[in-house]
Amino acid sequence: MIETKIEARQEMLSSIREHLAASARFDAQAAHPQTAQRRTQSNSATDARNGTVLDLFRQALEAVSGHCSIVQSIDEAARAVQQVVDERKARRVAVSDSIVVKRILGQLKTEAVFLDAPNQSELFECDMGITATQWAIAETGTLVLESERERHRLASLVPPVHVAIIEAGRIRRTMSEILQLIKNSEVGLSRTVTFITGPSRTSDIELTLAIGVHGPGELHVIVIDEPAQPA
Amino acid sequence: MRVSLFVTCLVDQLWPSVGTSAVNVLRRAGCEVEFDQRQTCCGQPAFNTGYRNEARVLARRFIEIFEESKADAIVSPSGSCTAMVHHFRELFAEDEPWRIRAERVAERTHEFASFLVNVLGVDDLGASFSGRVTWHDACHGLRDLNLHSEPRRLIRNVRGVEFVELANADACCGFGGTFSVKYPEISVAILDNKIESIEKAGVRAVVSGDASCLMQIGGRLSRKASPVRAMHLAELLASRE
Amino acid sequence: MNHPTETAEATGYGPPNAFDQNVLKALGDEQLHSALRNLVVTFGSKRQAAINSVEDWEGLRDEARAIKDETLAHLDRYLEEFANNAERAGAQMHWARDGHEVSNIIIRLLHERNAKRVVKSKSMATEEIHLNSALEDAGIETVETDLGEWIIQLACETPSHIVVPAIHKSKKQIADLFVAKIGIEPTDDVAKLTSAARRVLRQRFAEADAGISGVNFGVAETGTILILENEGNIRLTTSLPKIHIAVMGIEKVIPHFADLDVFLKLLPRSGTGQQLTAYQSLITGTKKRPADEGPEELHIILMDNGRSRMLAHPVTRQSLACIRCGACLNACPVYQQIGGHAYGSVYPGPIGAVITPQLIGLSKATQLPYASSLCGACREVCPVKIDIPALLLHLRSEVVEGTAAGSADQKGPVKRKFAERLAFRLYAFAWSRPFLYEWAARIARLAQRLIVRQGRIGKVSGLVARIAPPFGAWTACRDAPPIAQRTFREQWREDSKIK
Repeated sequence: MIETKIEARQEMLSSIREHLAASARFDAQAAHPQTAQRRTQSNSATDARNGTVLDLFRQALEAVSGHCSIVQSIDEAARAVQQVVDERKARRVAVSDSIVVKRILGQLKTEAVFLDAPNQSELFECDMGITATQWAIAETGTLVLESERERHRLASLVPPVHVAIIEAGRIRRTMSEILQLIKNSEVGLSRTVTFITGPSRTSDIELTLAIGVHGPGELHVIVIDEPAQPA
Repeated sequence: MRVSLFVTCLVDQLWPSVGTSAVNVLRRAGCEVEFDQRQTCCGQPAFNTGYRNEARVLARRFIEIFEESKADAIVSPSGSCTAMVHHFRELFAEDEPWRIRAERVAERTHEFASFLVNVLGVDDLGASFSGRVTWHDACHGLRDLNLHSEPRRLIRNVRGVEFVELANADACCGFGGTFSVKYPEISVAILDNKIESIEKAGVRAVVSGDASCLMQIGGRLSRKASPVRAMHLAELLASRE
Repeated sequence: MNHPTETAEATGYGPPNAFDQNVLKALGDEQLHSALRNLVVTFGSKRQAAINSVEDWEGLRDEARAIKDETLAHLDRYLEEFANNAERAGAQMHWARDGHEVSNIIIRLLHERNAKRVVKSKSMATEEIHLNSALEDAGIETVETDLGEWIIQLACETPSHIVVPAIHKSKKQIADLFVAKIGIEPTDDVAKLTSAARRVLRQRFAEADAGISGVNFGVAETGTILILENEGNIRLTTSLPKIHIAVMGIEKVIPHFADLDVFLKLLPRSGTGQQLTAYQSLITGTKKRPADEGPEELHIILMDNGRSRMLAHPVTRQSLACIRCGACLNACPVYQQIGGHAYGSVYPGPIGAVITPQLIGLSKATQLPYASSLCGACREVCPVKIDIPALLLHLRSEVVEGTAAGSADQKGPVKRKFAERLAFRLYAFAWSRPFLYEWAARIARLAQRLIVRQGRIGKVSGLVARIAPPFGAWTACRDAPPIAQRTFREQWREDSKIK
């Protein structure tokens, strides 16, 4: 079987090389030589709005039916989380291992049970998931979750409501900045990086939009924008 | 400016008034027009159906005839035929001498509206035609030759014309050469979208730069006993009513 | 389930070479017609709005095409780099020359691990090779989890669109299907139908032993696979089960991590008119620690299945640049009239018309390259600027010449009908000789007196239609112009006013 594997690999690579070689004489005669240039600058989304990165992020997130609260401190963040927990009457909440999340949980007054390493059936019983996020992309309202930094892959996916905390300083304007950051992170490129842009959705039935399919149907992002400390 | 007319087989045999109008208009624009009677067809039907050898025969004929012309430009009242001339080089990808000759002839070959506006710099031919008129963008002219603003400019300058833009002006009419008879049902289904919007536009005429589209659109309008006339741009620009 | 013959029964459409009959069936389907109208209107405006949200759409297209061209020109090198990096991160690489090998590899992997229940996310590559029916035959229960794919799985059909597989189905048809197959109460509320699907499929996710996905992009530089979606089923498929198997066409590799930016700007906009889909999963190998979340094993299967052959000519090679956005389908006047099933292939529309014959063999799909008016709308909307009309013309010439250089069947040419070949030979002979050209017109002008009425040619009778089928085909619904009483060249010669 290893032999078949090596044989298949070799055969496929040879097939590619042979066919490319066969193409050589036609390439020389190519009717419309594509001289498209590889761009060095990233092509940013149009931004007629003159807003800050934070403004852009909020607008983009709300445009895809995400909820955005901007707060000035962890205490306020805790109040915002409390509000969501109360309004949704959450009873079982899956949480990540983020320090910020832990601090917030400490301030919550609720009967809800918080599970930080639920097994699969517990996870499926959860009505909410609370995690932090490592980065966000302003131009699209996207959250970026790196698996090396936090255990949030399932808490952000399985329960029907996802509450995500992010520090304003971690929001970047463009996707291409984020791609660089995650690839060159000091813990290396995480084994799973997840980009989340709003709640889950589908248009598979008559192209009618339905929010909330397999992933969460509600996304609440709480941005902690601490005012700069005076020098 | 001396122009050699590439009249196209469709115009020659089915719509000679398009040819005579084109000559008329070019002269009004100050050109001397010659017509080489040895010309026949650009070979597009063969090329489009996959018969490249047969297309090559006609392409060579075309190249031989027109490369001899001392005219400054070869002008054709057909976007698809002009585009075909530009495609000749592909027929000779493996034959460099012919390919070069093909490229040279193609360089001098222009579509009628494009020639008037982009080469002669003329967009008013002193024409007059009263009534609502709309334009159909023939696919080759639009997508191969980038013709879009030129015909609209020319039409707008015709006195008495009220120009109406179709919502689907750039949608294919469904002709597609042999497609129109290989898959007539699809061809007509596509066509009927165009007919529907033409009828809704309440126009006196639908104008286009390609006789093949006019045959398709006009053929359906005629079958439906519609009063709307399918006109070639050259006929409109030659009009003095 | 999903055997080609079963799906033919379920959809009512035959294989690619039954295209002529398929077309007639499609054109008579009012429901389909209204679904396609909805598709065209909705996607048309969404795509335009999405394009307007980007500064330099044309520049993006050029850049994407340049990346693809570079990759394809050195595909072997990039694939090796990808495989090596993915392996280094813990993925197990497999190489499959064709669909059978893919299925066999997967069946073996699953049997070895005693995996009996599989959840699948949408993957055109797996549709292409009829993976589901192979798995079912091997006793492995496979559930599609993408809503559209699940709908067609329940209906035993194939997808009719690359991006929205169940577009041909009305809400009522889907509701009836759900009532019949999963026993819900009848409803016409999309939200209710969607939550019924969520409820049923969650159970499957919870029980699954393995998850099978496709791959949108494989990054050579890092060995990362990127998969995008809106529903969340891909994240579930690739996070919950212990085993994740990813099937990746060899053309999906791209050189650098940074290249993802370009494609993430193009694909969602072209595909669904979104700036970004709800989720992208960038998966590089397997988890570092057993206690981490995620599968224990990642298997990436690189699939050829006819792709490497397309490298042999620059015109066909661009077929491999396709990022499966479906924009060409939405723009195509032919697809807009006949939908996807008429093509008899999981890849319909313009891109389908060119890759289906190349994948399955031109002799098995001779009509598809002719299923086009060559309008060029597809080329205009393609995010990677594939010149589909040029490809169609190339394939048409292969059909005529029977060279079939890039196609699956090496044996025997694919000949067009004799009458057609003769007609074109005569045309080339006569039309290249002005004398014959003019005389043909004169003779036709005489003969047409039999059929011209009031200056035009109406519907021709059965006899004429049989002698000259194109005439019959044309005049069924359209009048034809007669040969002019005086052709242009006759006027030029005779009329001094014109000369």
